[in-house]
Amino acid sequence: MKQKTDRILVGGFVAVLFLMSLTFFLLPVKRFSELENRYLQGVPHLTWDNVISKRYAEEAEGFVKDHFPLRADWVWVKSGVEQLRLQQENNGIYKGKDGYLFEKFAEPNASKLLQYTDAINKFAGSHPEANMTFMLAPTSIGLYPERLPWKAPYYSEAKVNGTVGESVRNNNLTFINGFDFLQPHASEDIYYRTDHHWTTRGAYYAYVAYCNKVGWKPLSEKEFHIQNVSHSFLGSYHTRSQFSGLTPDTIQSYIPNKPSHSEMYIADTEQTLTSLYDQSYLGKKDQYSYFLGGVHALMTIKSKLEPKNIDKDKLLVIKDSYAHSFIPFLTQHVSEIHIIDIRYYNGSIKEYMAANGIKDVLMLFNTGTFVENDEILKISN
Amino acid sequence: MVFSSLLFIFIFLPAVLFLYYCAPKRIKNLVLFLTSLVFYAWGEPVYIVIMLLSTVTDYSFGLLLSHSRLNPAQRKWIVVCSVIVNLSLLSYFKYADFLINNVNGLLGTHIPLTELALPIGISFYTFQSMSYIIDVYRGTAKAQRNWIDFGTFVALFPQLVAGPIVQYNTLAEQLRKRSVNIELFAEGIRRFIIGLAKKVLLANNIGMLWHTVSSSDLGTMPVMTAWLGIIAFAFQIYFDFSGYSDMAIGLGLMFGFRFNENFNKPYIAQSITDFWRRWHISLSSWFRDYVYIPLGGNRRGLGIQLRNILVVWLLTGLWHGANWNFILWGLYFGIILMIEKWWALKLLQRSPRWIRHTYAIVLILIGWVIFAFDKLPQVQGYLKAMFGLNGVPLWNDNTLYFAYTNVILIIVLVIASMPIKKVDTLVSRSTIWNLAWCAILFVLSVAYLVDASFNPFLYFRF
Repeated sequence: MKQKTDRILVGGFVAVLFLMSLTFFLLPVKRFSELENRYLQGVPHLTWDNVISKRYAEEAEGFVKDHFPLRADWVWVKSGVEQLRLQQENNGIYKGKDGYLFEKFAEPNASKLLQYTDAINKFAGSHPEANMTFMLAPTSIGLYPERLPWKAPYYSEAKVNGTVGESVRNNNLTFINGFDFLQPHASEDIYYRTDHHWTTRGAYYAYVAYCNKVGWKPLSEKEFHIQNVSHSFLGSYHTRSQFSGLTPDTIQSYIPNKPSHSEMYIADTEQTLTSLYDQSYLGKKDQYSYFLGGVHALMTIKSKLEPKNIDKDKLLVIKDSYAHSFIPFLTQHVSEIHIIDIRYYNGSIKEYMAANGIKDVLMLFNTGTFVENDEILKISN
Repeated sequence: MVFSSLLFIFIFLPAVLFLYYCAPKRIKNLVLFLTSLVFYAWGEPVYIVIMLLSTVTDYSFGLLLSHSRLNPAQRKWIVVCSVIVNLSLLSYFKYADFLINNVNGLLGTHIPLTELALPIGISFYTFQSMSYIIDVYRGTAKAQRNWIDFGTFVALFPQLVAGPIVQYNTLAEQLRKRSVNIELFAEGIRRFIIGLAKKVLLANNIGMLWHTVSSSDLGTMPVMTAWLGIIAFAFQIYFDFSGYSDMAIGLGLMFGFRFNENFNKPYIAQSITDFWRRWHISLSSWFRDYVYIPLGGNRRGLGIQLRNILVVWLLTGLWHGANWNFILWGLYFGIILMIEKWWALKLLQRSPRWIRHTYAIVLILIGWVIFAFDKLPQVQGYLKAMFGLNGVPLWNDNTLYFAYTNVILIIVLVIASMPIKKVDTLVSRSTIWNLAWCAILFVLSVAYLVDASFNPFLYFRF
């Protein structure tokens, strides 16, 4: 009996080891992971320099990790065990109530935060002729702390937004605190449950708030044809945590009853598109990229509007991805929207504004990314 | 390369097993030697030279020592030379910057730092080579004439980077002649899987609690959070280190080596003396055999014995790292051990079991605070939090969250730290149940390893 089980153990263990190692050599090498949304480590190159610099070792380790068979399933197993042992989080994502996942939000570094708001002030100060608006939208954890797991630690985003609102002060700069326009609608579906973005409805309230602030007349919800374009959206929070048993989110699009014709030029790839939405992403993992076709460093959207509907000729939006579902609303009011993603745009914003004769700027960020991205400092370059 | 990595388990290990078991008997050690060099070069492609240098030196000194026409004085000189070479290598890489920093700080000088990275495993392999030379000198082992066998002893990958520190005389025979059978190999697999699970499932997870606690503000930390945190650290370091030793012992068995045990349920200790008989046994026995006893041990009066204890513990502290907190940590235990030898043990023997155990655990935990922080003000701050000198409530919401989200893990950790026969045999005895357990532990460990490498790039975040 003992002999037999020992044999099974040895045979099984050795067989598993060998079969697994064979898969790395036999399975085709994947370049891109849809699930993780990144390029995978390619086959490592064995050269003398690579070995000495440890690069070969790193690449080989990366290759084995990236090409491990059934990666998502292994992560799913881990996530399940973590829940069994009452752990309420996985990879930095809380499993909240009502099917909501939340990203942890800790107290931001005060001096960093001051640097960021200083950069915004400096930027506004160096363009006294321009009208600037800075909108800071909370992420879902900011609005729904009561949906967090019992006693889970979090830091109040309302506090952070308040601090930021007090520190960005300039004559030509208006601050819009996202809590002001989202809190009254907190009971509606203004955030995705499995993703870090706001829903199109959340973005709609942001649009109304922005219009009111700059004195335009927003379209009412009745003036849109609201469509459910996807019922299968499992977003970034789900990707990171791999919690099981979640209901996918629904993605909506707000198409105006009287649509205007818009052309979107993507400077990164020199493409011109005639739609603000990329249907192809609805069949992929990263469905939020349906809006504006995902992240680009620089885009311009030109819309043919009736002269009486034009509130502004030109507007520059400096933003993170929260703007993607928000910008389509603006095309009803502005004939030329310039969109810069500060993380990927490395030119000078000052020069860009001068070259394009821009007098109006909207900065739109969410609290989660605003407090931890040094990229924002580029704004005053 | 570490054992608890997908690359090691699924590429390196099968490759070495294949080569080793296909190779004819007389070149098996060569296979182990070469693959061990690959294993080491993987993490240290440059510093491998240092390891080879140390190996060649001690091999040559060993041969010299075996020369029969030497007088005792000459033999002594050879040993001294060898120890100087080994300790110089170790000191240069491990302690030079620490020394320079302190000299600069004390005298206001500006001697530039060497800024060398510590070669992996140098503290382990230099101690092993020294044990060889001293064993040969004492006549407890014969000089090794075969350079491949000697190289295999020093570089043997299962224990190369984190021990156990194998003394030469325990391995000399096995280098020449050893056999593997199915039973031994299966034992090796079980041991490896237990070690892997200890490291990946237990140590890493409780380590996250320690990470969260230790990186929060010490000035406002409630008493219970501080205790929970240091208990988490105690479990983390034990299951990490003993898991690594288990994996080493298991891997050794797969190639026919039997290493000595390195841990023996340290947290059931009844005194600090008892604890150090159970914790990192291979290091304590090394210091006992090569420092404490040669200095006279306990046979030359209490005064000399206390001095010897102090020396050994100063060195033990320093061995763990070039930093004041490690020196303090060593002295801390040295002093406790002295007091125990002097009178406290007698007192303890008359106390009930739970008092002895509590006494040992509290002192061990305070020791871990000194060990865990490399800056002394942090040590002070954490101890203040532990003993309620912060003037904050005993616990807060975070404490409750940490406690209930880790309670099951902590129960498992406590059970795994205790000598419960049923639990130990669950995985170590050869039955069908055991097979199932091994399979579950292995699958779960791999799942946690894959998850750790799971790195979704959310470029659309910003």
